[in-house]
Amino acid sequence: MSKSTLNIIGIFDDEDKLLGSIKSLQSKGILIGDVITPYPIHGVIEALKLKTRIPYAALFYGVFAVVATFAFLYWTSVVNYPLRFGGKPQNTLSFVVVIFIMTINITALFTIVTFFLRENKGPGKVADIVHKELTNDSYAILIQKKEGMTVDDLSNINILLKETGAIEIVQKEVKP
Amino acid sequence: MENKFKITGAFKLISWGLIAIGLITFILGFIYHPESAWANYLLNNYYFLALAIGGTFWLAIQRITQSGWSSAYIRIPEAFANYIPLAAVFFVLMWFGFHDLYHWTHEKEVMQDEILQHKAPYLNIPFFVIRLIIYFAIWIYLTQKIRKVSLEEDRIDGMRPFEKSEWYSKVYIFALALTFTLASIDWIMSIDPHWYSTIFSLKNFLTGFYHGSALIVLIVIIMHKYGYYRFLNNSHMIDFSKYVFILSILWGYFWFSQFLLMWYANIPEETIYYVTRIEGPWSTLFWLNIILNTGVPFVFLLSNYLAKSKVILAITVVIIMIGMWIDLYLQIMPGARGEHHIGLLEIGSFLGYLGLFAWVVGRSMNKRALIPENHPLLEESTEHHLHEL
Repeated sequence: MSKSTLNIIGIFDDEDKLLGSIKSLQSKGILIGDVITPYPIHGVIEALKLKTRIPYAALFYGVFAVVATFAFLYWTSVVNYPLRFGGKPQNTLSFVVVIFIMTINITALFTIVTFFLRENKGPGKVADIVHKELTNDSYAILIQKKEGMTVDDLSNINILLKETGAIEIVQKEVKP
Repeated sequence: MENKFKITGAFKLISWGLIAIGLITFILGFIYHPESAWANYLLNNYYFLALAIGGTFWLAIQRITQSGWSSAYIRIPEAFANYIPLAAVFFVLMWFGFHDLYHWTHEKEVMQDEILQHKAPYLNIPFFVIRLIIYFAIWIYLTQKIRKVSLEEDRIDGMRPFEKSEWYSKVYIFALALTFTLASIDWIMSIDPHWYSTIFSLKNFLTGFYHGSALIVLIVIIMHKYGYYRFLNNSHMIDFSKYVFILSILWGYFWFSQFLLMWYANIPEETIYYVTRIEGPWSTLFWLNIILNTGVPFVFLLSNYLAKSKVILAITVVIIMIGMWIDLYLQIMPGARGEHHIGLLEIGSFLGYLGLFAWVVGRSMNKRALIPENHPLLEESTEHHLHEL
């Protein structure tokens, strides 16, 4: 697992101030590590230029599910135990219903598992609490403290966060 | 640009030209092949009525969900509503063609047919016409009410019209559920009076909804090209294509539900419907129907990158419009005419109706402001913005 790093954390109590702060930090060339909000906020994803490849993974799982389910059904009812009933062909249209349902199931489950693996989340994960109000009504901007940062840089970040409306600024070890 | 749809000379020329083509084809058709002509008459009547009903249903959904993103475009389905009274006249005129269209109107044959006798209390001409009038009365009343309330919104301030339109939309949706179900059974399913399917009306209602919403998208794209709806952006396109995409999947789902159950149950009076369509001259169209209505939109609109493109979406909509025609052709022609033949009569009559529909929609859009400027959620539509991943 990745190491935890020291972060400068600005806590906000207003969405618009958070968005404004992200923009002014970026315009000064400061790299934002992460933004934590209790719910999805319009504009944050765009401002951070986040990209996801989850849809491609889902498409891949969907194709895999169709092939795998069909192969399984073919094996059970045509190859391994061919039983003719109701005058229907063994390789039948009723496969479609099972394939349809299994595609949804497999795609949904595999996509969720992929998401949890990528995000290092899942059962048994110890909660990494950045700030206790973050699941309630506050928003946080995390900025990683890097080796090369001078005192000036740090005070700049602090001033910027204050100016743009942070109600609290803390430093804390956070796992990325 | 003025907030109004202008009817240009070219639009007038094309639509009147198409109407003329349609008229000539129909006159020749009624003289030389009356049975074919009546079948085409029913097909086109139903095709464009279903589009109008589907479009207004789309409008009603936007109203009851208080959708913001679509509020700038509601004048298009509102214009569709003005086609319904015209369709009512056409459907009443169909009275002269009952004998050519519907097997159950042949009294002699009904007398010898136990099943048709059993269905006679429902399937008889007077009751059929009464039902037809009731359906149209309900649809015309409610859609015109929705139109009127929407116009009120332009004139007076406050939330009153917005709330009223929501109420009428609710009533309209409930009324449609019953009336359109029966209507599609009356007009299309009773062509094969021995055959029945319980999901039939659901599938046909969805056909109207699916293609009606697709047509709205096509009109928006075309109008954007001619300088209207300047605020149309990628987020609108994604939402529009989602609508088409999801309904295409649903259409395929219903189509398959009907097919699978009949195939699996294997009851002769049910399977004969599909046997005639899969085997013989209809089989190409049978498979083409599924490919055009579900396969093509699924593949074209699956990726966001393609779905955002106006050209791709417009092509997809044109393809599924052809698909809807084939779908109805397959439901009507084998029973009403019995032989497969796509010729000048089919194409000409369709073009005639297309011209008429375009003219009616264009004229009613011209009558009122194109963008409902007093709509409380208008800003949400003009500034519509989604996460783009």
